Amino acid sequence: MNRRSVVKGLLIFAGGVAVLPSCVLEEGKASIPLDHLDVSEGQEKLLAEMVETILPTTDTPGAREMGLHLFALKMVDDCYSEQDRQAFMQGMAAFEGMAKKQTGDTFLDASPKQRQEIIVAVNGKNAPEEVQAFYSILKNETIKGYLNSELVMTQLRVYELVPGRYDAYYPITKAQIS
Amino acid sequence: MANLNTKSVKQRTYDAIVIGSGISGGWAAKELTEKGLKTLVLERGRDVKHGKDYPTTNKMPYEFEHRGEVPLEIREKEPVISRCYAFREDAMHFFVRDSEQPYVQEKPFDWIRGYQVGGKSLMWARQTQRWSDLDFEGPARDGFAVDWPIRYKDLAPWYSYVEKFAGISGNNDGLAELPDGDYLPGYPLNSVEDYFKQQLKNSYGNRHVISARCAHLSKPNPIHLEQGRGQCQNRTLCQRGCPFGGYFSSNSSTLPWAERTGNLTLLPHSVVESVIYDEKAGKATGVRVIDANTKDVTEYYANIIFVNAAALNTNSILLNSTSSRFPNGLGNDSGLLGKYVAFHNYRARVSAEYDGLLEYATDGRNPAGGGYIPRFRNLYKQETDFLRGYAAGFSARRFQSEDRSGFGADLKQQLLNPTWSNWKVGSHMMGETIPKEENYVSLNRDQKDAWGMPLLNISIGYDDNDEKMVKDYQEQMTEMFTKAGFTNIKVTDSNQAPGLDIHEMGGVRMGQDPKTSLLNKYNQLHACKNVFVTDGACMTSTSTQNPSLTYMALTARAADYAVSEMKKGNL
Repeated sequence: MNRRSVVKGLLIFAGGVAVLPSCVLEEGKASIPLDHLDVSEGQEKLLAEMVETILPTTDTPGAREMGLHLFALKMVDDCYSEQDRQAFMQGMAAFEGMAKKQTGDTFLDASPKQRQEIIVAVNGKNAPEEVQAFYSILKNETIKGYLNSELVMTQLRVYELVPGRYDAYYPITKAQIS
Repeated sequence: MANLNTKSVKQRTYDAIVIGSGISGGWAAKELTEKGLKTLVLERGRDVKHGKDYPTTNKMPYEFEHRGEVPLEIREKEPVISRCYAFREDAMHFFVRDSEQPYVQEKPFDWIRGYQVGGKSLMWARQTQRWSDLDFEGPARDGFAVDWPIRYKDLAPWYSYVEKFAGISGNNDGLAELPDGDYLPGYPLNSVEDYFKQQLKNSYGNRHVISARCAHLSKPNPIHLEQGRGQCQNRTLCQRGCPFGGYFSSNSSTLPWAERTGNLTLLPHSVVESVIYDEKAGKATGVRVIDANTKDVTEYYANIIFVNAAALNTNSILLNSTSSRFPNGLGNDSGLLGKYVAFHNYRARVSAEYDGLLEYATDGRNPAGGGYIPRFRNLYKQETDFLRGYAAGFSARRFQSEDRSGFGADLKQQLLNPTWSNWKVGSHMMGETIPKEENYVSLNRDQKDAWGMPLLNISIGYDDNDEKMVKDYQEQMTEMFTKAGFTNIKVTDSNQAPGLDIHEMGGVRMGQDPKTSLLNKYNQLHACKNVFVTDGACMTSTSTQNPSLTYMALTARAADYAVSEMKKGNL
């Protein structure tokens, strides 16, 4: 039996994402089992901070607490092509380099204001292409994870599993139109 | 043949055997058991009990590890099935994987299969439009294939019969090309679908948009409640299996009904190797079955055999059923078994947008999927440079869309406060294809599957007629959309391989003449009268309409005939 199958037997499911108990964590590595991506503990923290900046805690939970960085990692690891996985990892390294250059610090150690500025730049496409490729994957998966989360689907934007109706002429007002 | 089963011949003898438990096999089982025949239904896959064996049916989207997406590893390993629109994380377990059930693509063919009790009736798209005489008379009028040995009047009462039991929602639209039926209330068209309907009426006269007829219980009748089924709850998660029995499947309807007669024996994990032919008796006596798990071989016997294994698998079983009387496959005196296979041309789509009627959206979900445009080309005479024509789906939708541009608290607000998009309209073609001798399946004698069965060679392709039809559909739909004031019209040709339509038909076609067909007008092998084929394999031509309803009607009719012939001592 290899390490992975042992590890898979020990998974704890939290917020829809499998999390490893700390006793089986590989030193310095991500807290979820990944087949392809080699993600360090530090990178996981970076991603947690980034998704929290994208969707912060307000009067409802933010992306970090919801584990959306782990969801994004899981999706990239399982569903993306090798090329996209590489783009994700290389872009993440480039992002770290960019943050260091701009603040003299790592993204994690930068002040909230500095972090905000970095994300403003990347979100506004004022960043190298490889950084943007990484950011766009992370943001897309964060949004997907958010909109498809239990919190949103049961409380904030309710998904009806059993609608029990079809109104073909549902009247709407101008305010509801983009 | 070694018989490893310890049960006596008597214990393995039934009045009837049905090979396959999908949409047509389920009907054969229901009809034969109701008429008092002890019936054995053989299914190569596992059992799927209604309600109990739908593991994903009540899952919320967040309960799927990849929120519905199929992981890359599976998509790379199983490229064919991964192209099927319904092969998603919520229903993957009901589809056959390429790697487990190989076949030989002499030409590209996406063979979509469901090996379990209920077959593909669990995941089908549930569209149920009747055929008309414009379809049954097509081959004779246009000089292809052979003449159908039946006409609409032969099938009309059986359409009614199966519609009433299965529960079909729809309207009586009064169109000769799409006969009316015995329907539950139809699902309404929405504002833009109605608008387009009116536009077509004004611009063309003979082009219609109707509410698609579908096998959903919009308003169940006592016969449906008696089956243990209830009203469709508009989930549109049908491919998972429906806990309400809101749509028709063998699992929710015909098989439990057959079981209640006390005359049904259902054997899952039973791969049929061949139909056994008795030279002296001059008829089939039973089937040889390989246990899918143990690979033990057992023979079962019956007076009547219905082959409903799904179109291409039915071809495969008959081709593999050889004897000195039938060296090239059971009933294959004509040499045409496996040939003249056809399908539906689903390649082209047209999409557009509409900025009118913005005061309306829709609420809830429409299980019918929207509108249906019956064939309007070459209806009463040849008008184009291609034969036959196409039907088309038509639907209009608005989406709750979010501005995803920002980040931070603003983005969160945006995501939680979506606005309605404008109308997105879409259409896809459903083209009739012309059966041809060079579109065939055959057995590969060099390669075998895990059960020792020869692999199926599939050699089916498009032709010039199909290419012309794709072009005409694109042009005509673009014109219709333009006239309706739709904008941003986009035309696509997926170039998808045949098979992805999941409407493969033929190979064991019906016809008047044993020299040019395999089955007679009652779906009986001309040369082996106690064997009936009533799944897609029997089809002489394809029409444009979704074929399942016609398989159901043909099956009920053939079962009725088979039992009356048996009682007369003719089988």
